[in-house]
Amino acid sequence: MRIEQAPVKAVEQAGIEPLPEHTIRGDKAIILHTQRLSTEDGPGIRTTVFFKGCPLNCLWCHNPESISFKPQMHWMESRCIGCGICLKTCPNGCLTRTANGIKRDREKCLSCGRCAQECPAGAQEMLGKTVGQEELLKELLKDKVYYDKSGGGITLSGGEPLMQAEFCAGLLSKLKENGIHTAVDTCGMCSTASLEKVLPFVDLILFDLKEIHPEKHLGYTGHDNRRILENLIHVRDYIRANPGKQLWIRTPLIPEATAEEETVERIGRFIHNTLENDVQRWELCAFNNLCRDKYRRLDMEWKYATTPLMSKADMGRFETIARGSGPDPDKIFVTGAARVENTNA
Amino acid sequence: MTTQSCNSPRYSIKEPLNLSPRIQWLRDYYFQGNNRKWNNEFTGFTTGTPWDIQYQELNFYIVPETYTFFPTFTGAFQQASFKVDLPEGFWEWSLPERQAWFVREVMVYYLPHEVLPGDLIAGGRFNVQTSRCFNKKEAAEYSKAVYGKKGARAAEFWFHNHGYGNAGATSGHLIPDYPRILREGWKSVHEELNRKLSSLSQREYDSKKGHQIKAMLVAATMARDVAFEYSKVCAQLAENEADSARKNELVKMAEMLRRVPWEPAQNFWEAIQSLWITHMLVMSDENYPGPGVSFGRADQYLYPFWKKSLDEGMDREFGKELLKCFWIHCNYAYDAMIRTGGNQGITAGFGQLITISGMGKGGVDLSNDLTYGMLEVIDELSPLLEPKPNVRLHRRSPDRLLEKVIDMIASSQGSPFLLNFDERSIAGMLREARIAGVEKLINADNVFDYAPVGCLENTMCGNDRSGTVDINLNLLKAVEHALTGGYDMIPWVDPMTGKQEPIKRWGADTGDATKFRTWEEFWNAYVAQTRHLMERVAELYDRTDRMRAKYLRTPYLSCLVRGCADKAMDINEGGAELNFITVEAVTYATTVDSLLAIRHLVFDKKECSMQELIQALKDNWKGHEVLQARALNKTPKYGRDDDQADNHGKDVMDLWTGETWKYRTSVTGKHYRPGMLSWNYWVGDGFILPASPDGRPKGQFLSNAICPCAGADINGPTANVNSVGKVLGGKDPAGNGDWDGYLNVLPNGASHTMTFSPSLLRDPEHKSKFMAFLRSYAENGGSALQVNMIDADILRDAQTNPDSYRHLLVRVTGYNAYFTSIGRELQNEIIARESHCM
Repeated sequence: MRIEQAPVKAVEQAGIEPLPEHTIRGDKAIILHTQRLSTEDGPGIRTTVFFKGCPLNCLWCHNPESISFKPQMHWMESRCIGCGICLKTCPNGCLTRTANGIKRDREKCLSCGRCAQECPAGAQEMLGKTVGQEELLKELLKDKVYYDKSGGGITLSGGEPLMQAEFCAGLLSKLKENGIHTAVDTCGMCSTASLEKVLPFVDLILFDLKEIHPEKHLGYTGHDNRRILENLIHVRDYIRANPGKQLWIRTPLIPEATAEEETVERIGRFIHNTLENDVQRWELCAFNNLCRDKYRRLDMEWKYATTPLMSKADMGRFETIARGSGPDPDKIFVTGAARVENTNA
Repeated sequence: MTTQSCNSPRYSIKEPLNLSPRIQWLRDYYFQGNNRKWNNEFTGFTTGTPWDIQYQELNFYIVPETYTFFPTFTGAFQQASFKVDLPEGFWEWSLPERQAWFVREVMVYYLPHEVLPGDLIAGGRFNVQTSRCFNKKEAAEYSKAVYGKKGARAAEFWFHNHGYGNAGATSGHLIPDYPRILREGWKSVHEELNRKLSSLSQREYDSKKGHQIKAMLVAATMARDVAFEYSKVCAQLAENEADSARKNELVKMAEMLRRVPWEPAQNFWEAIQSLWITHMLVMSDENYPGPGVSFGRADQYLYPFWKKSLDEGMDREFGKELLKCFWIHCNYAYDAMIRTGGNQGITAGFGQLITISGMGKGGVDLSNDLTYGMLEVIDELSPLLEPKPNVRLHRRSPDRLLEKVIDMIASSQGSPFLLNFDERSIAGMLREARIAGVEKLINADNVFDYAPVGCLENTMCGNDRSGTVDINLNLLKAVEHALTGGYDMIPWVDPMTGKQEPIKRWGADTGDATKFRTWEEFWNAYVAQTRHLMERVAELYDRTDRMRAKYLRTPYLSCLVRGCADKAMDINEGGAELNFITVEAVTYATTVDSLLAIRHLVFDKKECSMQELIQALKDNWKGHEVLQARALNKTPKYGRDDDQADNHGKDVMDLWTGETWKYRTSVTGKHYRPGMLSWNYWVGDGFILPASPDGRPKGQFLSNAICPCAGADINGPTANVNSVGKVLGGKDPAGNGDWDGYLNVLPNGASHTMTFSPSLLRDPEHKSKFMAFLRSYAENGGSALQVNMIDADILRDAQTNPDSYRHLLVRVTGYNAYFTSIGRELQNEIIARESHCM
């Protein structure tokens, strides 16, 4: 529960008078957006809800906008028409025009969203919006036909959805009432109580397992993985007691971090020894650098800004290792883009 | 990462497979295009009178890019035509008798008959420009009505130049009653006409009715006599043939051509031969190669012959070999103007649609072994343009069919299919039956035998001409007129003289829009302008429809359309049992979004005054960039599954479709009906219509058919699909609707194109997701879908290395086109379209 209250606190601590729509209660949540026709977050055709805010701080995070629980502002150069309306609109004067475009003084910016409201071109944008349960549910039900025909449904992802577990539990129970398949994509870093709230309404748990070694995990994500592994066992025991529920494990393959033979091997062994009959699928997702611009727009440094995509050969190598590490090879899927290599040379 | 070298292609384009040496040769030969020794380009024929006319420009009023060539084409055919010797008494005959005789004479005795090496189907040249057979008086009347100062041509140019769209009585675009010929032979048509003729009174015999039946009787022997000429050619070739296998084939062909298509077909080979000659001669009769003369449900009516021949021992691969020859023959339609176009003379404007699969009575699936045989033929020959395959899908389509279709989509960049969705389409056809009072002809017992023609236009088979491309109307013009009170927003300037036309009120007088206080007032003005627009286009269309009925007869085609013999009327006079004229609305999404923008900017949010908005449009948004950005980015849009915006879309749809049903043509009595095709007009007319309130500047493309505006569908493909289904009517909550709960205000159907990234079909799991997407489309979507599996990278590479992508097919709007053969602007538009990544 302590962690769950973090968003409100974060807003309050920043000294901002919390706008009503930023208040997080059980029937409201802060999300980034919903993605319809999502084909990579569970079976069938799905709509994925990306929640905002995550307790981990992974070095490679592909969704830097999903780390903070606060709404954040960013400016998209390609959309800007240079009208300067945002400069005049900002009540705190935190925007200036520079040779490199519009600069934002992040110390002063309260993410009040006025610049985004006034920007005619949609170049100033607020990342993070508060949604009510009913409103979100209505949106999610629009694609029910697609879920039904494909064996798909809804995936709650993020960020870490379980940071807003009460909202998730309420939403998931409504989805179940509507006969919709549900999935939660979690990093596992949450209270067991939060897990317990949602598990009754979840058909599939997508559980991220990034690293087995606690020290390394701490180095990569800012936290060691004891709680995560405990929660994973908790989930395992829950699905053993409640047949019909599924568990998929997801591992990112990150250069200079998890993309190491030993890491992959060790996770594979762990799955094999501890979860073999409980896990239906182990997905290894290759590093991707499409988020480079997102970091830049949020004025965040990124360790991986210049790291190239993995080569096809590298991906193949890790696939071989994973397949040899114990789990049933049919359950192993390697996904993601490989770099373009010149085959004409 | 490495950079790409400029001259080597990065992607592999679909290659044909499993072709026998025979088919490989025929296919390669076809693609030699202009370098071929043999071709099927237009040949002109004249009666020899100084006033003779061949080129029939009415057919091309709907093709604005040809307008400037009319005088050249007309003159060129007049000069280059071969003289045909006329029989004594020719000029005493009625006009339809003259025309019937003339085309028959040309096809049987003048146009050379040739069989290509190895070909299993006879019927080579068919592109002709025949004399209209006018006497001096008729020619003078016709010329005045067409070329005169107040003639049809001038009226058409005016209409198009002012951004209304275009309209003209056009050939093709129907499905002749081919199954009857296969089943009964031309003999039976001839017998029926003879019976009809003898049932006429003496007075009828000597007047219009008698003339028409006599003309049709002449036409009804054309296929027999053309086949007989080919029989002689085959016999001759057989005599000189050294290879015994080929000799044997030629002997068989000579033998069968003495019987079909006059007699009923006895086996699959004969059926294919009979079908080809019969079909080819429709194009000769109309002097109009290919466009829209479609085959209907070929896998259904050919199946009994396929089955019989297989039972009698035909090798299935040989059956496919026959189909492949047939397929290649269809492509020779493109030879018509082969010397005017570089890439095989292709204009991509043809469309002999062939329909496979689909439901039968009671919703059962009718896929059969020939359905799959045809799919294999398409796959093995692909990429090849004609005939354009259309697969009909419905709730009970088998997985096997969808799997094959999706595999083919995956391997050929999304082409070559049009996917037609039965439930929604059938709902539209039944609505048409109800509104037009033709339930006897279209009803629950036969509606499943509908099929699309041309690009995707739904019609019935064998008795229906619905004029599916004859009227193309820019709905957006009504928004412009509502803003200005009926004037053009910007004056028209003659591009040749630079002279500016004085501005006059062409639209309705709906008052000064800057004085409107409420959205409702503006909407009422829009309604009045839409009504006025429909009135104007009906007036314009009627001119060419009347003229065609009087001067341009197609007695051969009339033999193949039920109703013409009964009524003793030519199809061009309205002889078909089902007579409609389809208004294809163009600029739909641009119109809806423009109305939404006006409401949002001027009335709801008061971001600007009406005056400011109108000034911005007059200035083409120059100096009003902030307002333009708001219009583009901050207003609701159609295509996002936003109920409020889509309800506006539905209002626009109900309004204009409701208007169409109020009209009939004056002479031919054709009922107007609505559809949305919009061919390529959304490209060209974007340069004519002024800036629109949705933020689009003049010179940018308009929206395509029923698709949301490019880039407006920010909530992804499912939202896009849901919006499309909703504006067509969606489903009736009580489960009634036009058909099984489905509603559809567009009996003709609507063109919906979506582009996906190829990664979507990268593995079996994702293919099965796409299958579910198509099954969901059947529930929530429109009547027809075209899928492109292309990303911008492939297309950019194709622009850089056109030679490496000569065979890259893309679907544009209801038709396939070779990407490298279309204009740069359209290429860029295709690249700019948001690709839906799944």
